[in-house]
Amino acid sequence: MLGWIVVVALAGLGFRRFSLGYPARPVGASTLGAREIHTVRIAGRTIYPEGGAIAASADRAGLALHADRFVGAQTGKNRILMRLLLVAIEHATLVFPAPGPRGWRRFTALEPDQRLAYLDAWRHSELPARRLVFVSLRAILTMGYFANPEVLRSLGLAPREIPRVVTEADLLWPAVGEHPQSIRFTRGDLTPPGDARAPLGPTGTIHPDYR
Amino acid sequence: MNAGVRVFAEYHRDFEDVCDVVVVGSGPGGAVVAYELARAGKDVVLVEEGPPFTPEDFELDGALSMARTMREGGLRTTRGTIMATMQANALGGGSLVNSAICVRAPEFTLDGWCDEFGLEASTRADLDPHYQAIEDFLGIAPTPDDVQGPRNLLFREACDALGYSSEPIARNVRGCVGSGECFNGCRARAKQSTDVSYVPAAIEAGARVYTSLQVQNVLASGSRVWGVTGRVVRPFTEELGHRFRIQAKVVVLAAGCMATPVLLQRSGVANGSGQVGENLQFHPGVAAMGVFPRETQPQFGATQGYQSLEFVRDGYKLETLWAPPGVFAVRLPGLGFDLKRSLSMIPHAAIWDAIATCNRSKGRVRARRWGMDPSLRWRLDPKDLTILVEGLWRLVELFFAAGATRVLPGVHGLPEEFRSLDEARRIRSREFRETDFTLAGNHVFSTTRMHGDGRFGVVDEFGRCHETDNLYIADTGVLPRSPSVNPMLTLMALARRTGRQIAARV
Repeated sequence: MLGWIVVVALAGLGFRRFSLGYPARPVGASTLGAREIHTVRIAGRTIYPEGGAIAASADRAGLALHADRFVGAQTGKNRILMRLLLVAIEHATLVFPAPGPRGWRRFTALEPDQRLAYLDAWRHSELPARRLVFVSLRAILTMGYFANPEVLRSLGLAPREIPRVVTEADLLWPAVGEHPQSIRFTRGDLTPPGDARAPLGPTGTIHPDYR
Repeated sequence: MNAGVRVFAEYHRDFEDVCDVVVVGSGPGGAVVAYELARAGKDVVLVEEGPPFTPEDFELDGALSMARTMREGGLRTTRGTIMATMQANALGGGSLVNSAICVRAPEFTLDGWCDEFGLEASTRADLDPHYQAIEDFLGIAPTPDDVQGPRNLLFREACDALGYSSEPIARNVRGCVGSGECFNGCRARAKQSTDVSYVPAAIEAGARVYTSLQVQNVLASGSRVWGVTGRVVRPFTEELGHRFRIQAKVVVLAAGCMATPVLLQRSGVANGSGQVGENLQFHPGVAAMGVFPRETQPQFGATQGYQSLEFVRDGYKLETLWAPPGVFAVRLPGLGFDLKRSLSMIPHAAIWDAIATCNRSKGRVRARRWGMDPSLRWRLDPKDLTILVEGLWRLVELFFAAGATRVLPGVHGLPEEFRSLDEARRIRSREFRETDFTLAGNHVFSTTRMHGDGRFGVVDEFGRCHETDNLYIADTGVLPRSPSVNPMLTLMALARRTGRQIAARV
């Protein structure tokens, strides 16, 4: 009887830890679940807080939805691995507790300074596999951060406009997924060979998607 | 609309086709072979698993770009020594998303190939006519100063200051504007990747090009092959559709150093020697970031515009590098506000890298039970690790010689930044483990290597499989070992020779 009580209690605690208390999945997310999105969001706030040398925060840069798109763009095996990575970060406090009181709580439930210390311990770990998990998480977040126009503009790294050149290849290939009948160029549109184009520089016009 | 081209939207049912030669893969090897054969009047079908990309299809977001243009979403890694490695999945193969570097292999390297692998016609003198023809066709030339940008020119200054040789990198570009976007695909259509150069020329010469077809088996009877089969695959997914079969007098596999051995293993072809998939080699690279007092405008200029071959005989090459900021920023130190401080240095930064020959470090490629993705195992030899460490040291030395005020090595166990060369000297005295480095290696070789003796290699030096009469290979798998420098031009030269050899036989 006691054994059953212990099993039921553990199941209840497990259910509470793994399932309860997560905010709803944000509008626009289509691949990651509510818990995974929340892990990304909290990890993002820890790694890219508001203010500092670059003003934009993870939230302002839209890291959670970018991560959702990135995972969605992957094929089967990678999607599973990336989702497992988020689960590992969220619950590995049971194995590698954060410093301070109740450091075994799930990552997203830790205090902000505990989260920072927890992730920093992954970053400096002597276990290569643990460092690898951290690098993977930071890669997902960093690539999302640098997809944000405000971040790129603030560093002067926003892509510049490049005049469209039409080559023979443009008469052969449609856009990905389209039918060849959608090709809009004809031979008359071909850019003459040797047309000189000025090298890009800081005074160039910023690409419309990054203005 | 061109009758010789088929894309995903045009496959409505299973189909069959017949031709003289079917070429699998449209990267630097396959495209050149297809062009040579079509020009010689042969009936050629060029099959490519990936889709063609237009400039509008290129993603400026580095993460999504990788996910769309690379196999396994750009997240492929080796086991053993864990190292990231990327292979393209697109019309044009690796040439679509590489930095356009075209360098002839050094004479001593090719002489070494001949001596150690029983080759008789692969010296530099043998390959020079083919190198020249490719260079002429693609307009390969040293990168001019006006598209170098400050970060490439700083590398030249550093080499000059230390007395190391350096040169502007020869690239297959026409009208480069120095956008630094080579790895995302060239929006300027300046890079002469094979999708805009050799493939259109092959079509002009009569070749048919079928994209979005995944070849899954080579059809063989005894010592002859007679075609390939596979499935239509939807772009950016693994979703398989209609079946196809293409019969041919000759089959050329140019699917890449990892996909070709998987195809051969799955098909049970050409592997009596047991060499298919063995001898996997890479050019692992390490990179460091230097921070300068003045702005370097790092996003402008050729992605890789300058190199030093000073240490190529010692087993490594030094070069400049730029990548989507989100990709290389992954290596920068710090978390939270510290990380933001590191990122804010990027406008004053340059990234240079060392790639190592690593001929002692080997691995293997195996077909998995399901799917076409390979299982990769590779181990970095401790002596090769020493060479990488030496390369890292040289990079740090170059940065300080160019006036950098700090250098970020990005290696576990080292300080996050060095403020002086003296501080950095500990690189040479410290013992490293392979896991201390964040390694990447995108040049891959030797999984179907050429050898004069069929017991030790898969193909002869003209690309013909030793065990079959009419099966050829034309990707970097045929290189017997590292070419010491970037492999694309050497592969294209060998592919040109293979194409001409087949044309003479069919």
